[in-house]
Amino acid sequence: MSSTAEIADTVRHVAIAGNPNCGKTTLFNALTGMRQRTGNYPGVTVERKIGRFFGSHGEPMLLLDLPGSYSLQVRSLDEAVSRDVLLGRRKDTPRPDVIVAVVDASNLERNLYLVAQLLDLQLPVVLALNMVDMAEQAGIHLDVKGLEEALGIPVVPMIASKGVGLVELKQALSRQPLPMPARKPPIPEAMEREAQALAQELKSAPEVAYSEALLLLTQHEQGLKEQADEATVQKVQAAQERLHKQGIDPLSSLVELRYDWIADLCAQYARKADDSGYQLTLSDRLDGWLTHRVWGWLAFLGAMALMFFCIFTLAEYPMGWIEAGQEWVGDLAKSWIPEGDVQSLVVDGIIAGVGGVVVFLPQILILFFFLGMLEDSGYMARAAFLMDRLMSSVGLHGKSFIPMLSSYACAIPGIMATRTIENRKDRLVTILVAPLMSCSARLPVYILMIALLLPNGSSGVKAGIMLSMYAVGTITAFLMAWLFKKTLLKGETPMLLLELPPYRMPSLKNIIIRMVERAGIFLRRAGTVILALSVILWALLTYPKPADPELPRGEALAQSYAGKMGHAIEPLIRPLGYDWKIGVGLIGSFAARELFVSTMGMIYNLDDEHAEDEDSVKEVMAKETHADGSRVYTPLVCIGLMIFYVLAMQCISTVAVVWRETNSWKWPLFQIAYMTTLAWVGAFLVLQVGRMLGFS
Amino acid sequence: MNPVLDQLLVAAAIGSAIGFFLVRAYRSRKKRGGCSSQCGCSLSSKGKR
Repeated sequence: MSSTAEIADTVRHVAIAGNPNCGKTTLFNALTGMRQRTGNYPGVTVERKIGRFFGSHGEPMLLLDLPGSYSLQVRSLDEAVSRDVLLGRRKDTPRPDVIVAVVDASNLERNLYLVAQLLDLQLPVVLALNMVDMAEQAGIHLDVKGLEEALGIPVVPMIASKGVGLVELKQALSRQPLPMPARKPPIPEAMEREAQALAQELKSAPEVAYSEALLLLTQHEQGLKEQADEATVQKVQAAQERLHKQGIDPLSSLVELRYDWIADLCAQYARKADDSGYQLTLSDRLDGWLTHRVWGWLAFLGAMALMFFCIFTLAEYPMGWIEAGQEWVGDLAKSWIPEGDVQSLVVDGIIAGVGGVVVFLPQILILFFFLGMLEDSGYMARAAFLMDRLMSSVGLHGKSFIPMLSSYACAIPGIMATRTIENRKDRLVTILVAPLMSCSARLPVYILMIALLLPNGSSGVKAGIMLSMYAVGTITAFLMAWLFKKTLLKGETPMLLLELPPYRMPSLKNIIIRMVERAGIFLRRAGTVILALSVILWALLTYPKPADPELPRGEALAQSYAGKMGHAIEPLIRPLGYDWKIGVGLIGSFAARELFVSTMGMIYNLDDEHAEDEDSVKEVMAKETHADGSRVYTPLVCIGLMIFYVLAMQCISTVAVVWRETNSWKWPLFQIAYMTTLAWVGAFLVLQVGRMLGFS
Repeated sequence: MNPVLDQLLVAAAIGSAIGFFLVRAYRSRKKRGGCSSQCGCSLSSKGKR
């Protein structure tokens, strides 16, 4: 949204804050009608999101959805966003007028610590007691009135996913004036005095000075140095020393006092109906299987295999329809446009290029359907738990799993999700290896190569090959992470503290919304970037025209700019078994991996020898031969090409995001270099070792 | 089709495709503007606060 204009004419700025995975984004979507991404695992939101809604009197309000945070003592970049917005430190976002503190009602004891810190911020706070249905199911009796009285702020029981409590929340946010918290969470007297004295000396605005002072006072040395100048650090350390002399540990005493206070609150206002002992829930029993060191892995591999099997079997029909549609549009264009370069541009360039990518939409939608089911159900957090053992053995931070998992869809959100990783080196390692996870843009290349490799193979075998390509990417990512941690980015691996969210029935509505969004993104990309690149590639494949107009089109293609580029890199790729046409595909797909399929479609559409027959591009490629009559697309070449695409960077958008996230060209260039080398070596080994073993 | 018109239309299509990427690059450069804590400054020594 155009924030400056809309920020100006809004009545109130509302910020949503809370622990990770307590339903903040669900509430944000329910209030604004927007469709920001939600998920049943922590760390989905890594940057602030802005939306608009209307209060109970129709007054416009601006809503900020902040990344989840357990405390204002931040450890990672995404948590810093929340703290900075709430303290008014950011120039691009005004300090909110009111905070909606979202808490998971079934887990109040952990959620209320952040609320206690929010009450220190000298801002009105409304407590959104979310997921009260889950709390009831867990046998927790909530005394909302009592909690309201004890905290001194409005408390609204809610089920944000069903829209329950939205009216009451809007009423609470529309009150004029908004009440300030009537009670203060406990704090040792001496510490409060020190905080007030320190607040007088800080340069912060008076309304945030006390909150800033309290945060600094409870900060360890490293955190202090990151946030404050030398003079302030000395003042804070002097205050901390005085507290120590009085027997108060500034780092732990406030935390302990507040957790005692929270325990009292929960005992009084969130009582467990049956407190006779801990009983295993269905989630616990399922976890016994799904996080088991043997059954857990079998379940994980089974889920992945089922996903790829469905990609091959279910997508067959819609793919056929799209192909038929593409052919029909091509014939129509041929009959309408007189023969010439414009006809060739439209048919061989645009329709073959864009259509060649669009045909893979069904597979991509099936992939996102499965990923959505796994995320929404809460299974992904279990998969992270399973992976942690493997990841920590190679030195990867447990928190790297979510970014790496997101990279199966697309490396860009995956790389952005690394903001949840506190340690700089761990974050860099994850950024460097995330693009090795097979993203959805590789799917068209894998499917085309598998079709060439096994024209009559069963869906099960094809799914097995696809699964192994994903496995190669994942294993290589782990190996490279291990190598980077041992050499370039040495450091200890921190432990993973992961909250396992309860299993929930996946929301079909959410999943369909996400699939429609992905389809939109995919088609928009096909209609813009892929279309424009197809036009440029067509021009490179068509010009310059040969001096002799009678020259066969295959020859003309070889003399085109793209043909010359392909021939120029041929010595480099000949050891991989590739000819110059594949070279053109590799160059074309540097911008985006799926362009390989488009480029091959264009090359074989433009090629004279194949233009006349009725075969699809796949069939033409299968018949393609070298000058000596041997087949170009042998099984080893097909596997080698897949391995090349598993390991190569080949995505200009990812390069741009890595540059932005690392604020340097050094890392993206290094990433391109190491991944391209890896891809070449991988494809070379497949061909040469395969030949040595007697394969063709 | 008239060969001149044919070539003009092709040139316009190629020009539009190149223009598309130039406008995109310009827009993203303009949008980037100042830097905030959401970017990756903390990963580079020059951007460390």
